[in-house]
Amino acid sequence: MGSGGAFPAQKRLPMTHGGARGRGAPLLLRGRQINKTLHNIKITILCSFVTILVLRGTIGIGSLVTSEADAENQHLIEETNRILAEIRSDKDPSDPDEGPERFLSLNDTFSLGPRISNWDEDRKVWLEKNPQFPNFVKGKPRILLVTGSQPAPCDNAIGDHYLLKALKNKIDYCRIHGIEILYNMAHLDKEMAGYWAKLPLLRRLMLSHPEVEWIWWMDSDALFTDMVFEIPVSKYKDYNMVIHGYPDLLFDQKSWIALNTGSFLFRNCQWSLDLLDAWAPMGPKGPLREEAGKILTASLKGRPAFEADDQSALIYLFLSQKERWMSKVYVENSFYLHGFWEGLVDQYEEVIEKYHPGLGDARWPFVTHFVGCKPCGSYGDYPVERCLKSMERAFNFADNQVLNLYGFRHRGLVSPNIKRIRNETVAPLVNVDQFDIRHAARHTAEPQS
Amino acid sequence: MVGRLLGPRRARQLQRFVRNGKLTIFCLFLTVIMFRGYLGAGKFGTPEKDLDDIRETLSFIRNRAEPRRVLEEALISGQGGLKSAENAGAGSNNYAAFDITKIFRDEDDGAEEFNRDPSQPYSLGPKISDWDEQRAEWLQRHPKFPNFLREHKPRVLLVTGSSPKPCENPVGDHYLLKSFKNKIDYCRLHAIEIFYNMALLDAEMSGFWAKLPLIRKLLLSYPEVEFLWWMDSDAMFTDMAFELPWERYKDVNFVLHGWDHMIYDEKNWIGLNTGSFLLRNCQWSLDLLDTWAPMGPKGKVREEAGKVLTRELKGRPVFEADDQSAMVYILATQKEKWADKVYLESAYYLHGYWGILVDKYEDMIESYQPGYGDHRWPLVTHFVGCKPCGKFGDYPVERCLKQMDRAFNFGDNQILQMYGFTHNSLGSRRVRRIRNETSNPIAMRDELGLLHPAFKAVKFWW
Repeated sequence: MGSGGAFPAQKRLPMTHGGARGRGAPLLLRGRQINKTLHNIKITILCSFVTILVLRGTIGIGSLVTSEADAENQHLIEETNRILAEIRSDKDPSDPDEGPERFLSLNDTFSLGPRISNWDEDRKVWLEKNPQFPNFVKGKPRILLVTGSQPAPCDNAIGDHYLLKALKNKIDYCRIHGIEILYNMAHLDKEMAGYWAKLPLLRRLMLSHPEVEWIWWMDSDALFTDMVFEIPVSKYKDYNMVIHGYPDLLFDQKSWIALNTGSFLFRNCQWSLDLLDAWAPMGPKGPLREEAGKILTASLKGRPAFEADDQSALIYLFLSQKERWMSKVYVENSFYLHGFWEGLVDQYEEVIEKYHPGLGDARWPFVTHFVGCKPCGSYGDYPVERCLKSMERAFNFADNQVLNLYGFRHRGLVSPNIKRIRNETVAPLVNVDQFDIRHAARHTAEPQS
Repeated sequence: MVGRLLGPRRARQLQRFVRNGKLTIFCLFLTVIMFRGYLGAGKFGTPEKDLDDIRETLSFIRNRAEPRRVLEEALISGQGGLKSAENAGAGSNNYAAFDITKIFRDEDDGAEEFNRDPSQPYSLGPKISDWDEQRAEWLQRHPKFPNFLREHKPRVLLVTGSSPKPCENPVGDHYLLKSFKNKIDYCRLHAIEIFYNMALLDAEMSGFWAKLPLIRKLLLSYPEVEFLWWMDSDAMFTDMAFELPWERYKDVNFVLHGWDHMIYDEKNWIGLNTGSFLLRNCQWSLDLLDTWAPMGPKGKVREEAGKVLTRELKGRPVFEADDQSAMVYILATQKEKWADKVYLESAYYLHGYWGILVDKYEDMIESYQPGYGDHRWPLVTHFVGCKPCGKFGDYPVERCLKQMDRAFNFGDNQILQMYGFTHNSLGSRRVRRIRNETSNPIAMRDELGLLHPAFKAVKFWW
């Protein structure tokens, strides 16, 4: 007879046993039966174990059908993720080892640079020597819009997508209004990191570009929503800083959100350099910023406990040195130089129905600022869906005003697709004169408040 | 049954043989499967994959706990805690798991829509025959919008763009952003306006053909623009100091990078590149666009045209018609009509294929300086085939992304040096100071003279 194999053995064992013994005592029979059962169970378990192993080994649990394209796809995705993780990590293999980070101690003084005291005269001389770079062009002062974001990819892809859209939005506004734009992606000063990074940047740009009359800082999460409205600079000829806020919140209530440093203008002058120097000391990372944060929380109404931020620091500076600064600061709220998004984004349909671009205020907001959404990070202060949907709406709301010249419009405020609202013609310049914001503005009398 | 046929002993032998055979086959089968399972099938459900999964999950948890990057310090836990307490239960605050495409939705706002009559053959728009006259008259009426900013310097509009939807590749948008910043920097220095397109104007002209209706629309909407400069989103400026030789082009209407002999003699499909070209705003250009468009409409037209192009052009693989091949075909077959107003530029890299340039950056830094625009210091490095926004490109992902970073930094160094900084290396995002702050900033000059270059000094450019 043949040997081995699970199944033949199973068949044979009872035979051998039964054949050898014949008619034995019932107890012995019972024992034999138990043995048999045990043996069978053992074999069954062994076989099932082998089967499972084999099945798992070849088919796996979950992925039942494998094809080469899927495998390649999977491989590519994994490789991209690995490279992504490498790109996102702060570690740079080519960077020299910087050693442990040293923070300024509480006794150190921080300065943005060597003290400059006659910038107004120097600048005047430079402008005279360089007439090809005037600070007033076509009767308007030269403005430089400055914005920026981190040099590394955002924590999530959607963050970079909205940075891209926000930049396009700013480029569109600046092209229509003749404003130069600079997008910064470098950390110029390691100590002034985070929201403080704008201070060394603004100082450097002011000093490098004497031909710029106004520097306009704008956060990367702020979008233009009124493409027609132009800042009434003539209103500010006696001021050096224009910032959105509410004087009563500032002086009476000392609220930490009385002003907003997400969108403000600075004149290129000595006064501004002095302000930056006075503003900077609360900024340096480490114990200085922590301590400053505590002072600010104690002094300003409603401020939570966290390290010093530039906005609270500026408010504190204006409150404690009111006589020195406030005469040259215009706290603007007649239009939304900064417009907090939550109260604005749901009104867009109503706004379109009732009003027209060019107003810049609550009727048609100039800027919609997505404070707290933080799409470039991992977590925002608001639900993600609300933030992203609102940002998409604001972007399309503004984009419609740009596309109008070309005869197109978005298919709704949450749609990336467009539809044609005006046929092509053989005399396109008629439409250009009527719909181009730069030309149309000459024909209609826009109220300059 | 077999037993009856062969006899009892034979039958038993046969039975035994069959049984053994079954056993052998079965065991062989098991062995093969086991081997395949552990060595051959790779990662599909093997215990090794389990270990990998476990490792991945653990590292993900670890990453979540790591401190956030520097710029995200804004309004940390204190304020965050306040706000999220108010919004508890209103939805997730985590951006990682969110799918943006579920937000996008087409809606009808009641505005009348105009569509092209599909029964008519495709055209970009009604034929205009007097554009030069229309434009000249308009320019006369608008003296504040001249088409020349200075003698010999035309008003230029640089046009680029990308999809309004997020990239399929998670890091694609970041590279689009960097590429956009790079173009903004060059254009700011050279008094060039930028238009970034994110709209598909014509669904029939999709993909690489989308630029045609866009270019026509922009030429007609901006009569003050003298030259329209189309540039692909995957092309970057690497020479910030190079100003285009506008005088060279005063008698031509279309400037592309390429070689005459490769087009007119060889009909080589890569004899020119439509990733970066100049087109004058005039009747000739409108006519060219009208001649160019017919191979574009999606579907059968594009497929058939693709076959014609593969047949007629040298070296072209089989795929649907693309705008570049179509242009080669037009120039090669209608030379008498177009060639005298077309300039195939090869003296500098109006388009520079990245494969031959990116490894040489360090050599260039050592031996030359910005301003040449050619092989010594290329004006444009064009990442043809990389497709950072899509999932699959023609080249390995790692090489593409790393080289794009290097090209970006190579160009960015020229901008940063204006302000006294430079990248730590071509592969590094970090910057270091190369010039100290001074108490006499007026006297400061940047090495390349890019702060106030002659080509930026124009009377007005808006």
